[in-house]
Amino acid sequence: MRVQSGARAVLRTAQPRTASWFAGMAFGILAAFSTVALLATSAFLITRAAEQPPILFLSMAVVGVRAFALGRAVFRYLERLASHDAAFRQLEVVRVDLLRRLIPLAPDGLGRRRRGSLLSALVSDVDELQNLPLRVVQPLVTSLGIAAIAVWAVALLSPAAAGGLALCLIAAFVLGTLASSSVAASAERSIAPHRSALADALLDYLGGLDVLIAYGAEPEARARVIAADRALTRALTRRAGGAGLAAAVLSLFSGLAVVWALIAGIPAVGVAGGISGPALAVIALVPLAVFEILAAVPLAVGAWRQVKSSASRVSDVAPSIAPPEVPADTGDQVVRPDSAAPVIQLRDVAVRWPGRPDPALVVPRLRVQRGERILVEGPSGSGKTTFAHLLVRFLDHDGLYELSGQDVRRVGSDAVRMAVGLCEQTPYLFDESVRQNLLFARDTATDDELLDVLERVGLADWLESRGGLDARVGERGALVSGGQAQRIALARALLHDFPVLVFDEPTANVEADLADTLLRDLLRAGGREERTIVLISHADVPPGLVDRRLRVRDGILTESARRSAE
Amino acid sequence: MRPLDPRLLRYAVSARWLLAGGLAVGVATTVTIVTFAWLLTACITGAVAGDSLESLLPQVGALAVVGAVRAALLYAQDLLSAHGAARVKSELRVRVLAAVRRLGPAWLSTSSDGRVTTLLGRGMDALDDYFAKYLPQLLLTVVVTPVIVAIIFFQDLVSAIFILVTLPLIPVFMVLIGWATQSVQRRQWDVLGNLSTNFIDMLGGLATLKIFGRQHRQIERMRSITRDYRVETMRVLRVAFLSGFVLELAASLSVALVAVSVGLRLVDGSMDLSVGLFVLLLAPEAFLPLRQVGANFHAAAEGVAAAEDAFSILDEDRQAEFDEVAPVASRAPADGGGTLTLERVGVDYGSGPVLEPVSGSFTPGTVTVLTGPSGAGKSTLLAAMTGFARHEGSITLGGGLIDSRSTERPWLAWTGQRPSLVSGTVASNVSLGSGEPQPELIRRALDLAAAHDVSADAVVGPGGAGLSGGQAQRVAVARAIHRTLERGCQVLLLDEPSSALDHDTERRLLSGLRLLADDGVTVLIVSHRVAIISAADAVVPVVPIRQTVRS
Repeated sequence: MRVQSGARAVLRTAQPRTASWFAGMAFGILAAFSTVALLATSAFLITRAAEQPPILFLSMAVVGVRAFALGRAVFRYLERLASHDAAFRQLEVVRVDLLRRLIPLAPDGLGRRRRGSLLSALVSDVDELQNLPLRVVQPLVTSLGIAAIAVWAVALLSPAAAGGLALCLIAAFVLGTLASSSVAASAERSIAPHRSALADALLDYLGGLDVLIAYGAEPEARARVIAADRALTRALTRRAGGAGLAAAVLSLFSGLAVVWALIAGIPAVGVAGGISGPALAVIALVPLAVFEILAAVPLAVGAWRQVKSSASRVSDVAPSIAPPEVPADTGDQVVRPDSAAPVIQLRDVAVRWPGRPDPALVVPRLRVQRGERILVEGPSGSGKTTFAHLLVRFLDHDGLYELSGQDVRRVGSDAVRMAVGLCEQTPYLFDESVRQNLLFARDTATDDELLDVLERVGLADWLESRGGLDARVGERGALVSGGQAQRIALARALLHDFPVLVFDEPTANVEADLADTLLRDLLRAGGREERTIVLISHADVPPGLVDRRLRVRDGILTESARRSAE
Repeated sequence: MRPLDPRLLRYAVSARWLLAGGLAVGVATTVTIVTFAWLLTACITGAVAGDSLESLLPQVGALAVVGAVRAALLYAQDLLSAHGAARVKSELRVRVLAAVRRLGPAWLSTSSDGRVTTLLGRGMDALDDYFAKYLPQLLLTVVVTPVIVAIIFFQDLVSAIFILVTLPLIPVFMVLIGWATQSVQRRQWDVLGNLSTNFIDMLGGLATLKIFGRQHRQIERMRSITRDYRVETMRVLRVAFLSGFVLELAASLSVALVAVSVGLRLVDGSMDLSVGLFVLLLAPEAFLPLRQVGANFHAAAEGVAAAEDAFSILDEDRQAEFDEVAPVASRAPADGGGTLTLERVGVDYGSGPVLEPVSGSFTPGTVTVLTGPSGAGKSTLLAAMTGFARHEGSITLGGGLIDSRSTERPWLAWTGQRPSLVSGTVASNVSLGSGEPQPELIRRALDLAAAHDVSADAVVGPGGAGLSGGQAQRVAVARAIHRTLERGCQVLLLDEPSSALDHDTERRLLSGLRLLADDGVTVLIVSHRVAIISAADAVVPVVPIRQTVRS
């Protein structure tokens, strides 16, 4: 099973190496040892007792039986506590590691797919990584360790029986692992496509049931779902019993190991230099207990497959090295504005998206003066959002980009974003109260200041109807309309007081009828105090709102022919 | 959770033969377990008594055979349960699907979004553990444990008593600890859920956090949240793992008790070695299935929770069947056309009226807009007209009364707020339900719906994937127009057809609809867009239901 290097790095972070983890391992081995020793000492006790020795000779065995019985339960309990504690401590490390990888990448290094589903999949993959210590390493080390100890102990009594036990253990381990991983592999190949076909058919059927009924297409669509279900069920039954194969292999070799021990041991009983009756009982019964513990191995192999694919998904989505199109965070200077220079100056700039060879946007020349309001128009997909992400350094560029006379490459990205703010096309609202969604822009703001800024962006009435600053905005702002979300985003930006403010398609998720009012309100509230405004829009913007119009066509930003009245 | 849910058996007929098969395999397994222990005892006691390997070879050989048979039975057990689980899932799925069809779209829209889709897809897989791990072990507990205890009882009364005393302790303690941890565990699930949503929320808003320079603080925040989570979780686990502790302790202590008491009686010669060894080998087997039941209990409970969702849908369907009247196809109006009239049409889903009665009359060749504030019940009115909501008052077309109970409406073409497109091509969506799709008609419908830019051959993924919001909306309108043109429907009913369109496209859509009206179609649009209202021939307001009526 090959693991690519990115995934290997993820797996390394997922495996704890702390004291509590090693304590957990030690308890695990002790628990497994107690299981085997309980059966061995019991067998020894009984067969030895049958020889009717003085009871004194048995007292050790009696104590041993009781101690191992208690030990098995107690050590197992301690093992589970210690290893879970270690795994949860590691979860902290894993999550922080993921966060560290994602911070430089976000948002444009993460690809332009739907972020919501991507992230929940990512988080469940990260949670899956906990299974590496708990369900892979721990059971493997414990059962292999105890198998080695058992073989060694049996060898002390009968090397021949120990050889047989070792052979049976190895064969069971190899065959059991092969069985369970080939079953899992074939399941991935043959079951997964049927599963997704069924999910698609269900989505079509349930999502459009009213239409399907009304148009008389319901029976046909239901037949499609049922056909997908039949295909899945057929695939499932074809590979049925696969999981039992590993268990059956283990059971078979456990029997063989017992038989071997008897064949090796019986001729030696009572012979000079041979073994005693009780020793025969021990070597014949120990394999039963060892194989019971070995049953964890096929499960661990299955868990390993899942952990491994989770790790490679995590390293695919969040590579530890950012693609070159995403700016590396070099330089930590603060912006030293040259008040004579234009706020923004671009010359021969080209911007690329990660994984695309051709530039998404070219800006031959652009100067924006302090306090200017410019509009960037163009059809959707022409490169307008690329322009916004260039300005806030989410994307790196070729050519020159100067902010108040200073090359942005010499300034840390954080410092650039202190000067240039962005109201995103779909503003992200955290699943918290309105207050929390504003406060992170300036955490020293008082309630009065928050109310004041909400008043300025035209949300005073809305806030009152929702019950004040403690009103929640819902998951991803579900309880807030597109226009209100834009206004909240603007309120945040005003609190932070960016000298330059970029609006990326503020009316994209707003009803066309309400768009003009929103634009007017945004520019009125945002455009005070000498703030420079860059408005990006594909829709019509009413005249008089902006000083200058620019146009993006086929990825090239140029001055528009029609100029607004200044 | 009940150990064995009778409804699972009632609904899933295939589970019955699975159970019977499992029972047979269980009995056979018991026989091999006992035989294996007996043969092993015979070999060891024989050797201790001085028998040679040659004289013991039959027993050793039989031991190998029994071991192989036991392995085969394990495999058979797994085969049976995997087959059974697949069948049961399939059967439940098909039944729930049929129930959903009978309950209809109105019911589906009241159940929470995506719940049914998840249940019928991945949700059913939670039953795997129930059938593959939990149920077989439960069967084995019922079959194997009593047999083994009985055998021990006839061999050695004292050992049987030890086992009989400790065995019931397992379920008793499991239940007690389960009670003790239940409330803590529920809180725990909430904490876990919060932790995940919190993390997803934080990652989702990372770009926003970066804009405000707040991204670096999140690392410390994540640390402290995860740390709190660990402390909280470990507090629960210390108690929750006690149930596992009790299971292990009861099993191993009873083996120890049996071993020690047997040993002491062997020393004074009051017992035979063969009996002692046999009992020692059987004792753990009496506990094994019960331990497995305990170990798989949680996985099984998840499966049953999923099954319960399915059962509640089936139960709802069975109750609904009682007041269902056989559907009567509404008669098409005799003259094949005429005025559509609503006479005090209201809707009551059973918990009070949800629509203030609407009256109005709509003549062929006109475009009418139904408008009103959100929540006034515009979509409910639409459901009444399409037949998915049982309504009061009357709807007549050309004087003929429309049956409120039937969704069979050959005179009507409509589309709802959601485009509800299905996998295929744009053409197959536009000509949905049509026997012989004609490309020219499909193109004409697309053009009338202002979808000039959409190719009829474009591929549509499940749920309309691959089209933009505005494209999907226009394809859905084109679907209704296609039906109007192909079947000569008299009424075209559109719910918010332009909410995702810009002004230009909306204008083109309006002129397409006007052309249809000029051909004698009655066009009804639910909308509150200015352009549509100003272009309409008439506006019918839908007013929110009066507070007095609601209370």
